[in-house]
Amino acid sequence: MSDLVEVRDLAVSLGRGRARREILQGVDLTVRPGEIVGLIGETGSGKTTLARSLLGLNRIDRGTVSVTGTEVGSLRGEALRAFRRAGSVQYIFQDPLQSLDPDLPLGRSVGEALEVRGASGIANRVAGALERVGLDSALAARLPSEVSGGQRQRAAIARAMITEPRLLLCDEPVSALDASSRTAVLELLLRLRDDEGVGLLFISHDLGSVAGVTDRIAVLHHGRIVEAGATAQVIGEPSHPYTRLLVGSAPTLDDAGLDRTVRAALRAQLA
Amino acid sequence: MRPRLSSVLRHRVGAVSVTFLVLVAVLAVIGPWLAPYDPLQQNQDALLQGPSPDHLLGTDNLGRDELSRLLAGSRLSLLAALEAGVVGLVLGTVPGLLSVYLGRVFEWATLRVMDAFVTLPFLVFAVAMTALLGNGLTQAMLAVGILVSPAFYRVTRAAAFPVAGSQYVEAARLTGAPAWFVLARHVWPKVLPAVAVTTAATLGSSLVIVSSLTFLGIGIRPPEPTWGGMLATSLEYLFQRPTAPLAPALLVILTVGACNGLADTLRDVSGVRAPSLRKEKARAAA
Repeated sequence: MSDLVEVRDLAVSLGRGRARREILQGVDLTVRPGEIVGLIGETGSGKTTLARSLLGLNRIDRGTVSVTGTEVGSLRGEALRAFRRAGSVQYIFQDPLQSLDPDLPLGRSVGEALEVRGASGIANRVAGALERVGLDSALAARLPSEVSGGQRQRAAIARAMITEPRLLLCDEPVSALDASSRTAVLELLLRLRDDEGVGLLFISHDLGSVAGVTDRIAVLHHGRIVEAGATAQVIGEPSHPYTRLLVGSAPTLDDAGLDRTVRAALRAQLA
Repeated sequence: MRPRLSSVLRHRVGAVSVTFLVLVAVLAVIGPWLAPYDPLQQNQDALLQGPSPDHLLGTDNLGRDELSRLLAGSRLSLLAALEAGVVGLVLGTVPGLLSVYLGRVFEWATLRVMDAFVTLPFLVFAVAMTALLGNGLTQAMLAVGILVSPAFYRVTRAAAFPVAGSQYVEAARLTGAPAWFVLARHVWPKVLPAVAVTTAATLGSSLVIVSSLTFLGIGIRPPEPTWGGMLATSLEYLFQRPTAPLAPALLVILTVGACNGLADTLRDVSGVRAPSLRKEKARAAA
């Protein structure tokens, strides 16, 4: 089966004129159907830029970006809109309070992609999508401000799932949630993968939150993938100093943690 | 927050302003049927008469009934102000919305055009337009509409800018929605309160400009009655009939006051601010 995501030697720059700088350099990444790949890195490492590049939101300088068999990097205008309308790739934002229109009832936001396609029976499909993510369909009439953070993020997942995508790009989907909502949302994403065979690219700065759900992990540092492999291997035997620092900084992964001198030595190597 | 009529009417100033404007609008519509005389009919036997049971507001220098002329003039004056407002609304709001969506070149070009409009003086531009296109109220108000459009442009752009960069707009774009869908669904409703405030304020200022132009005889052909034209005629005979300018002047003042009162109330209930044309001009001059 072909890969859902196949990124080769990707380079992306953002900004204009003197402020322009290279965010991603020579990135290679693959995501297979039914696989959850964690993309880990600190703030500013280029995680979101990489995810946005998969949707054609950034112009690429070099390399190829193939998503569900389509070369996204070369799409423009109507061809890009048609690729997005097909709905085979969906994006889940970090903060659902910002990604859902505050003046629209949840049902309108969830069914928006169907409305754009001119589909019929939208109300029933919205109700079905909400129930599939464990929400009461009556919540369709509520505004985002009238439900809890966990319910908002579930509604955002329902919005993403309503087009029956093959790939979900989850940009820190649990970082704005409390501990119980976080667990529930992670379980929901795992269930969607198991039941529907969706591939997930799970972006996070927190190794601890992705270790339990991912099959593979790619570590992004200063715009480069510095380490990639099976989750158990990357966490159990990190080879790059930055990965070791991440593993050591996640108390849930290493109860003993790294002592201060070892962390300082690793930081010195990275500087 | 989107302003609702009920929340406007809960404010005393808003309720008075809306009531007055509705009254003036109704008079403008049914005025010709209410008028006791033909507003153009001259009566050489009743020149410059004061108020009487036959002529409630008196007569002018040609013996025409002032009340009938005032009612007929309401329609022309209000329609002219409305035309200027609508022209300004369309010419300002559409490029204002598109400027946040179509990229930097369109934004730069429209900003420069709007800056150029702001520097033009209303009366001189209106006179130039009527000289170019013909002396009619439509032409004069087209000129006024063009010159009030920067207020709409800036307000729309300022309100649309943060919305266009929001995540829910990006989420909508990721559904493959065309630009018009995203603008209509997500951006326009957020911009509407600010545009409503600007429209109310602009209608008031347009009415002042209409009255100024017709006072000077620009954009109107005698004997058609307008509030500004009646004011000009009555001032010529101020010594014979000192109270004659009161009715048209009061109508202009009260209607403009009601527009401004409505704009203030809309601003208060929706939490937006109307732009100041004086500040716009100062900014463009700087």
